[in-house]
Amino acid sequence: MGLRDDVERFREVGEARRQDLADFIRYGDLGGGRRDGIEIPVKIVSLPEFEYDQRDRGGVGQGDGGTPDVGQPVGQPQPQPGDDGDGEEPGEEGGEHEYYEMDPEEFARELDEELGLDLEPKGKRVIEEKEGPFTDLTRSGPDSTLDFERMFKEGLKRKLSMEFDEAFLEEICAVEGITPREVFEYARGESMPVSMAAVEELYAGTERGRWPSIEAVEENVERESVGARIRREGIGHVPFRREDERYRYPEIVEEREKNVVVVNIRDVSGSMREKKRELVERTFTPLDWYLQGKYDNAEFRYVAHDADAWEVDREEFFGIRSGGGTRISSAYELAVEILEEYPWSEWNRYVFAAGDSENSSNDTEKRVIPLIEEIPANLHAYVETQPSGNAINATHAEELERRFGEDDDVAVAYVNDEEDVTDAIYEILSTEEGADE
Amino acid sequence: MSDTERYHKQRIAGELEEPVSEARELAERLGLEPYPVNYWIVDHDEMNELIAYGGFQSRYPHWRWGMGYDRQRKQDRYTGGKAFEIVNNDNPSHAFLQESNTLADQKAVITHVEAHADFFAKNEWFGLFTGAREDAGAVDAAATLERHARAIDEYMADPEIDRAEVERWIDHCLSLEDNIDQHRAFSRRLDLEGGVELEDDLAEKLDDLGLSEEVRGEVFDDEWLAAIEEDGDRPNVPAEPEKDLLGFLREHGKAYDEEAGKAVEMSEWQRDVLDMLRTEAYYFAPQKMTKVMNEGWASYWESTMMADEGFADDDEFLTYADHMSKVLGSGGLNPYSLGLALWEYVENVTNRREVLERLLRVEGISWRTLEDVVDFGAVLEHLEPPETLSALPTDDLDAVAALPDRWIDDEGVAAARTGEIDAERYPWKLLTYEGLARRNYSLVRPQHRGFLRRVSQNELERIGRYLFDDARYGSVEEALADVEYTAGWDRLFDVRESHNDVTFLDQFLTDEFVAENDFFAYEYSRATGQYHVSSTDPADVKRKLLLQFTNFGKPTIAVYDGNYNNAGELLLGHQYNGVALDLEQAAATVQRVFELWGRPVNLLTIVPEVDEHDLEVARRQNREPEPEERGKRLRYDGEEVVVEDVPWEEVEGLAADDVDYDTKPEEWLA
Repeated sequence: MGLRDDVERFREVGEARRQDLADFIRYGDLGGGRRDGIEIPVKIVSLPEFEYDQRDRGGVGQGDGGTPDVGQPVGQPQPQPGDDGDGEEPGEEGGEHEYYEMDPEEFARELDEELGLDLEPKGKRVIEEKEGPFTDLTRSGPDSTLDFERMFKEGLKRKLSMEFDEAFLEEICAVEGITPREVFEYARGESMPVSMAAVEELYAGTERGRWPSIEAVEENVERESVGARIRREGIGHVPFRREDERYRYPEIVEEREKNVVVVNIRDVSGSMREKKRELVERTFTPLDWYLQGKYDNAEFRYVAHDADAWEVDREEFFGIRSGGGTRISSAYELAVEILEEYPWSEWNRYVFAAGDSENSSNDTEKRVIPLIEEIPANLHAYVETQPSGNAINATHAEELERRFGEDDDVAVAYVNDEEDVTDAIYEILSTEEGADE
Repeated sequence: MSDTERYHKQRIAGELEEPVSEARELAERLGLEPYPVNYWIVDHDEMNELIAYGGFQSRYPHWRWGMGYDRQRKQDRYTGGKAFEIVNNDNPSHAFLQESNTLADQKAVITHVEAHADFFAKNEWFGLFTGAREDAGAVDAAATLERHARAIDEYMADPEIDRAEVERWIDHCLSLEDNIDQHRAFSRRLDLEGGVELEDDLAEKLDDLGLSEEVRGEVFDDEWLAAIEEDGDRPNVPAEPEKDLLGFLREHGKAYDEEAGKAVEMSEWQRDVLDMLRTEAYYFAPQKMTKVMNEGWASYWESTMMADEGFADDDEFLTYADHMSKVLGSGGLNPYSLGLALWEYVENVTNRREVLERLLRVEGISWRTLEDVVDFGAVLEHLEPPETLSALPTDDLDAVAALPDRWIDDEGVAAARTGEIDAERYPWKLLTYEGLARRNYSLVRPQHRGFLRRVSQNELERIGRYLFDDARYGSVEEALADVEYTAGWDRLFDVRESHNDVTFLDQFLTDEFVAENDFFAYEYSRATGQYHVSSTDPADVKRKLLLQFTNFGKPTIAVYDGNYNNAGELLLGHQYNGVALDLEQAAATVQRVFELWGRPVNLLTIVPEVDEHDLEVARRQNREPEPEERGKRLRYDGEEVVVEDVPWEEVEGLAADDVDYDTKPEEWLA
């Protein structure tokens, strides 16, 4: 019981996955070129109720300084005071969706989830060197960065290496006729860390004759390891030495900014009719949002072309229409120029082109393909919008596909109606993901 | 909750103790009689949860709360989180304050909440839910909802019961949550147990039961007996069309058993869930029925307390004013601004009437001459509260004490003299209800100064003609000296007691109001495929507006027969008022009703239809086609919905002959 459960249940109502997002891509209002916010329809589930016919109901409006004349059209109905403002009965305006604003980052996250993508953008330009975690060490530094743990371990190691089994050596000193030198040499031979002076001190305090030979001692006296002794006697004093002091200092990490430049190219020639233009917008806009959400810094450039290419603003890009023929390479030539501002070493680059695949003869083969090969980019994509089925001379997409095949950083997608948009986006983005691996 | 959070909330709570108790004192002084209110400090997430749950801490498990919460969070993330007020209708009421609100916001919320709590306690429509009980004062809402939550949760957890089954059942019931009889006092049972054996000597039998007179009078009254006897052995045929669908289904409905392919008795949990959801529908109904009034009421008193009585400190006032203008400014027809405007109108019009009645009794003044003879400017000047009163707070307590006794709270003045109360901060502590009414007199406020002058000849005549000539005044001054300054407020309290949104709008949304606000009605044109202005006539506009409020803005559906076709089928009727049903939704809803009835369900309705040819002709002639009203029956038998034309006689009784909400004019598009 509890709200979290209720939210979970709500998510599952009617559908297992976020159908609403796919819906949006297909039907959503793309709301102009706003980059800071995206209107996403949210799923609204409303139970059926006995209600008035929305149209037959009519309504009450308020004039903006004076009442309008009878018969004057009023556009969309205004919200009515009787309508529940508190969300009790959503979807009253007849639609299945209500909108909320999403930022591009959230959009990208949702789209990743929806399409099962996981595109990790590459950082390129180094924008700063900043301090990473304190993992590197130096011999001097402020007290607070002293690596005490390390110093303790070193001290302990030293202690361990200096400790020796004094009781055992004492027995050696008690061997009949042994000299201090012999004891010392024996100790050294046994890798006991003991000095001549220490041996002499020990020797002076011991009487000889307890054992006939060193062998007898070895046979009869049990030696105790250092570890066992520390366990028995406690660690006692650990000698800290200046030479063991180490200070931590931060690792220098290069922060790379994730920059992206997207060149959107669109065929605006006479053959690109209203429907085709709309399909381009429906495909490109979510792609732009997606990349916007994925990168720290995204720049968008728009190239329109017929037989020639020119750069335009976003506002114009999707609406523009011209009369001329088509030469797709003109756009790529302009793209090369534009991309000079965005060096490949510092920028992620995407070149998305869209059109109806019609091109002037040989242009694809002779000019476009070499240009695509020549422009380094994360991804080149061509979106063919051909809502009325294939035209005979529309072979650009096919030629690209033949040339670049499946496993390159060139994606070709076909969008014939709104249903295809989601697939096309998936096709394009998954091509890059594949190329990454 | 971590300690830090708890301390944080405690600190805020400490800060609010004074505003809370002072707000209550001020509210009572102003004449409000709120339920006691418990205030809670909640954080942002908790607030979102409370909003999703409709102001309560626990509700039965259902996805709709999840949907609300989801949306609330998203909305909130992008709108930056506003100062919300949430208060529930309970005795005591519980109100929730968001910890991130500024102190100014908190104060505004508190004053707003006090007025809501007054409305809950005093409005008679809220009384319908509690009234039928012995302990009418106890709303017991939070406990009831909590009990429902636990019970439904247990059903869902019961291994014998399929959870999805319970969820579906809830959905079915919720489809009909507005199909209750909200104008009737709530009682758990609509009628007697459906299966009671009826006998000829029913009255005798009742005597034998040895019930007290009280119970007999309440439940088994003569009307009930008559109704039972008339129906003979068909207790599931309502004597009058029954609006309470949920109640009727609870008493007589069955569940549909898919496997058996027939109706079976509802299982215990099914009837219980239906019962609980019906109770909740009745509990929430008054809030839906009084939204404009209630929000307007709270806004009115919030503004009086915060701005006029200085409850907001000077530095808080700007924040407050800004907040208020946002709430009220969001569209001319939102319940806050519409409600507030109407309450102010009620106050002004009552005060104006009081003044005019006095003036019309002055020798030599009649409704014909009043406007020529009386200098409204001078009248307004006379109506201004005395300088001492309007200038409060003041440190001249002697001047205050010299004001007329009935305005002054002697104890307050005495306490102020000894420094026991801070009259600087709370000047209203020196005044009585009358004194506050005088100080806040509406007709002399800058925004209402023109109101008196704007009286129409019609209204003057109406007042003049029905005036008792019991007292005459020698002069205007003499007449004005008798003006009751509490008239406006007194009236507000009466209106808040007895009205709901429909009657409120009906009575107080005047022609003047409609015209002043440039309201108009619009309708959909089939010929042009868009909405057009249909009328600016205040009567039409009002009718159209009332449509949004009458019966929750929904069409009225009632049970006409529980044994239709003599085959145990249910017959529902749509009481047609000139506006058609949404047939698609109706078909889907009828399928839900089927689940609660167990046998085929029929719905009779009237549909205004235009055939393609007429539409084409009308289009060419640039006029609106005249639709023909036809009777239709939707029938769902568990398999499919069939829509059939029926003879007019069958639906004739459904068509209202006194109201028609269609405002399309004869000559419209031409």
